[in-house]
Amino acid sequence: MRFFDWVVLLLTLGGVIFYGLWRARGSNTTDKYLRAGRTMPWYAMALSIMATQASAITFISTTGQAYVDGMRFVQFYLGLPIAMVILSVTAVPIFHRANVYTAYEYLEQRFDSKVRLLVSILFLIQRGLAVGLALSAPAIVLTVILGWSAEVTTVFMGVTVIIYTAMGGVKAITWTDFYQMLIMMFGLAVALVTAIWLLPTEVGFLGALEVAGGAGKINPIVTAFSWNDRYNLWSGIFGGMFLALSYFGCDQSQVQRYLTGSSITQSRLSLLFNAVAKLPMQFVILLTGCIVFAFFTYNQPPLLFQKHAQSSIEKAAEYPELKARYDAAFAKRRAAAENISRDKTAYQEAAAEFEVVRKDGSLLAERVLGEKGFNDTNYIFLNFVTTYLPVGLVGLVISAILGAAMSTIAGEINSLATVSIVDVYRRYLNKNAHDQHYLWAARFATAFWGIYAVVTAQFARNMGSLVEAVNLLGSFFYGGILGVFVLAMYTKRVGPWAAFIGVLAGEAAIFTLHFSGMASFLWYNVIGCLVVIAVGLGLSFVEKKQPA
Amino acid sequence: MIDEPPPILGTWLRLYTAVLVYLVVLIALFYWFGQAWT
Repeated sequence: MRFFDWVVLLLTLGGVIFYGLWRARGSNTTDKYLRAGRTMPWYAMALSIMATQASAITFISTTGQAYVDGMRFVQFYLGLPIAMVILSVTAVPIFHRANVYTAYEYLEQRFDSKVRLLVSILFLIQRGLAVGLALSAPAIVLTVILGWSAEVTTVFMGVTVIIYTAMGGVKAITWTDFYQMLIMMFGLAVALVTAIWLLPTEVGFLGALEVAGGAGKINPIVTAFSWNDRYNLWSGIFGGMFLALSYFGCDQSQVQRYLTGSSITQSRLSLLFNAVAKLPMQFVILLTGCIVFAFFTYNQPPLLFQKHAQSSIEKAAEYPELKARYDAAFAKRRAAAENISRDKTAYQEAAAEFEVVRKDGSLLAERVLGEKGFNDTNYIFLNFVTTYLPVGLVGLVISAILGAAMSTIAGEINSLATVSIVDVYRRYLNKNAHDQHYLWAARFATAFWGIYAVVTAQFARNMGSLVEAVNLLGSFFYGGILGVFVLAMYTKRVGPWAAFIGVLAGEAAIFTLHFSGMASFLWYNVIGCLVVIAVGLGLSFVEKKQPA
Repeated sequence: MIDEPPPILGTWLRLYTAVLVYLVVLIALFYWFGQAWT
């Protein structure tokens, strides 16, 4: 990072935060602080929803995943547009008419307080665990570009987010997200165009696609079905739809975004905008990863993209021999790539051989560092950005990544604070306090969850591909939570005990699936949800009706 | 709360249908893209 990059980074991030706080002035009641007084327009909510979902993980890990595994991850989002339509038809009008602060408040209106409390606690556990992961991703960024320790970077990021989130509430978050999302889209376009521009002139964009495709990276649709294949057309449409229904319909970090809408129409439009924009955005991010792959086919990358791991293995006795193999494998792959149109098989063999040597490098890093399952996927894109992008653009892309991280963390700690105060504190611990008391309690809870995120981020750095870790964690709980919302919104006969036991049964089914290894995690949402519905409906036939 | 019509296509049903048709077209384009370069 050079001086001008720092100027770009500080101006964009600082400017956006100050603008968000300025727009949020006057958030002096709990309604304004937690729901923006229900005044937000659809375009602000739409980009805020996208920004909350598109974390730094989206930039760092997804591009790296395309480099390693190809574009098939895009199928994860195929069910999202269907889910958005379903939520626009059902959840949006129900939540608006129920006039709730949290999605779980509605469960008490429909069932009773124990169902609301159970689901609130599941949310707090799941989102509380994930928020540390969301914070550890930008820590990786700052560690790479600043050379700071990961501990210092998580504290720096966490404190920045806590300040504007605790001060401005959901309105500051929404407007900050809005501009951060615009910067993200611009940064993404810049990264893609620059990656294409940096390719050798004789290769170009189409040549890069041929090289990436030859190595099996251009695989956005996989039609073959397997229960254990994480990303194929069917798991994407069905599993992805259930996950999106759970995330956007039952997760307070998203529901709170569209609860701020000034009308049902505004909230619906914000979701439908996501239905249209999300897939192309993910496609472009993954395509960027493929172009980076092609770029590194012609420009030799380090054996390992994580600098610390690379310098550590260089001291090992086996390294000279491994380095010689790596150099030879790179030269062979590059030569084969230059000849790909005439002999594709030779290129594929050379690409596979190169991957074997890189795998050996990872195994050596595992041994030297004592890190089981060493994985440098999250460092690939950062290495490209910081090493090859021109001055100014580095600052812009890093700013997009940090903005993405901050918008996600802000949304998450804001939602955790809202559930803690509305569903637990105000409901059970202090029912009759003044509005100003709850406002300050919400600010305190925001700071608490921010500090909690900083602490848990210390344990989240070595979890392989962070994007998969976050989605896996969500899948443990989303199916059960979605199931109870389906019972609440679409059935009339199911009572509170049937719903309560249904959720517990759904969670038991999900954990059984996980520990038995019977299915990939995308199916947890489907199966968990179906178990809750089946058990809830089954028990409703024996549950004694409450007197009217 | 008043349920207003959407700003485009006249009814919510038409807008939802348009979103789902868009999804089908997108899947077809992704499939074609994959086939073209693999």
